[in-house]
Amino acid sequence: MIPLRFVLAVLLIGMGMVVLARVVSLGIHPEIFPGVILGAAILALGVHRMSLVLRAWKATR
Amino acid sequence: MPEQKKPELRRSVTPWGSFSWGYSDVGADIFVGLGLVLGAAAGASNVAFLFAGIVYVCIGLAYTELAATYPVAGGGQYFVLRGLGDIFGFIAGWAVLLDFTIDISLFTWTCVDYMSSLVPGLSSSLHPWSHFGICTLLIVGLCLLNLVGVRESTAFNGVVSALDICSETAILTLGFLFAFDPHLLVHTMQVSWPSADMFMKGISLAIVSFVGLESISQAAQETQRPASIIPRTSIALILTILIFALSYSNLALGMHTWHAIPHDAHGHAQMLWQWLGNDENNGKAVALLAAQVPYFGALAAFYVPILGAILLLISSNSGVFGSSRIAYAMSKGGLLPSIFQRVHPKFRTPVVSIVAFSAVAFLELGFAAIPTLEPGAARLYAHWFNGEGGLDFLADLYAFGAATSYSFVFIALIALRLYDPLSPRKFKIPFNIPFKVRGERVEFPIVGVVGFMGIFAILLFTLKTHIIGRIAGPSWLILGIIIYLIYRAQHKLPLFRSKKRDWRKEQVDILRNAGELELMDEYLANLKASDARIAAAAEQPA
Repeated sequence: MIPLRFVLAVLLIGMGMVVLARVVSLGIHPEIFPGVILGAAILALGVHRMSLVLRAWKATR
Repeated sequence: MPEQKKPELRRSVTPWGSFSWGYSDVGADIFVGLGLVLGAAAGASNVAFLFAGIVYVCIGLAYTELAATYPVAGGGQYFVLRGLGDIFGFIAGWAVLLDFTIDISLFTWTCVDYMSSLVPGLSSSLHPWSHFGICTLLIVGLCLLNLVGVRESTAFNGVVSALDICSETAILTLGFLFAFDPHLLVHTMQVSWPSADMFMKGISLAIVSFVGLESISQAAQETQRPASIIPRTSIALILTILIFALSYSNLALGMHTWHAIPHDAHGHAQMLWQWLGNDENNGKAVALLAAQVPYFGALAAFYVPILGAILLLISSNSGVFGSSRIAYAMSKGGLLPSIFQRVHPKFRTPVVSIVAFSAVAFLELGFAAIPTLEPGAARLYAHWFNGEGGLDFLADLYAFGAATSYSFVFIALIALRLYDPLSPRKFKIPFNIPFKVRGERVEFPIVGVVGFMGIFAILLFTLKTHIIGRIAGPSWLILGIIIYLIYRAQHKLPLFRSKKRDWRKEQVDILRNAGELELMDEYLANLKASDARIAAAAEQPA
């Protein structure tokens, strides 16, 4: 289960970075703000999941 | 003869159960909120969701801290009672009760709306009596399910929540990959920006998409190791819901449709967001959006209405659960008659609360359905409420109840940080200003102030832009305050002041009952150190 959760966390982090990169490539103007927050939220969820996976992994070692 | 122990709520909610209770309640909101917000905020819908989403993150963090610190049934109502006293605790709880009962009726209503996508005989406009009949049957069914017990309901929620997360992830990922055009999004935002009034209305409706995190703290008394589990599940839930809401709104504004969009009633071409937000489609916007995702839409058009209906149904289920638990907690706190804390001897569920608030939900459903059932009533609604119908009535009240109770929760968070610094906080909201009060180190939460300003603004937007909300919402509060004052007068309790309580003893009991023995020891050590400090200060010569 832990490897699967690790992959999911990595996917989320990757997806967050892709969203951020794609949004920022439109140029810096107010309309991209919701997209930036969306990318940041996906990234934050990935990091949160990763921290839980690492904690569980340490506990099982 | 040994004293017989009073039946208590059992601790059977696991981490996934805690997440799915919250998700099943708040996750379904986007199925209702998306169409309503697109209809009001137009090209600024994603900004409306962003504004409400930022406020929601602050609310979520506040609830996470408070529910982990005080893991008892009651949620926001209990936090406000503890931080601000009985009368404010009652008002917050009464507003949350309004939300939970609306939750039951609103989500049952939209559940049947989604089903009507596949079964036209259930349409509220074409067959209002069958729509109303099915809604009633569903409310009765959920009431019975909750009487049997939380374990069964949690399992039900868990399976559907997992299916929905997979489905929504698929819709959004494929939509962004194959149909989303960022330039179209920017263009739509620039040419379809709404008026200030409509933008405010959009924001107040967008908060409807984020109501329900309360469920996690409502279930705190039935969650295993709540101080450890609640922060984990809450943060994941807050971020998941925020991501879904922002994704749907951005996709709806910047997506090239797979099929042509039908022209409007005047024969004009419409954009996707206009089509999703019109009166005919705003009750099933997610299903229609999913059907426009290339290729995947063929499958989604069939299963998303079913999944949406099921999720909305379990959100109604969360409403039954939440309203009964908060009434149980308010009754225990001396804010409602003791009959509401009567627990079923076999199933150990709060039987009177479940039945009573399911009945209130049924009355609200009836009030919302009257305009479709009786043409004469429709004319009255058109005259008095500017034509706002059943769905608007329920959404208005939902926004009002949420904004009211959350406003009090933020004030309670700040008050508890100042007055109860000794309770161990396993999770603490970041960004605080440390200082000393009566010799104790306290941390003033900046996020609490930001959140309060945001939710109070949304409350003002609701009162300004929702015709039914600004009449029925305050009326509900006034009714509640009258009931509260009569009850307190009959039982010779202080009307506007609070009952005397030993919060120290209560906190020890809460932590012991939650199985958080380390936190209980930490709390006792904090109390001892504080008492010693006070005694030493008193002994010092002036």
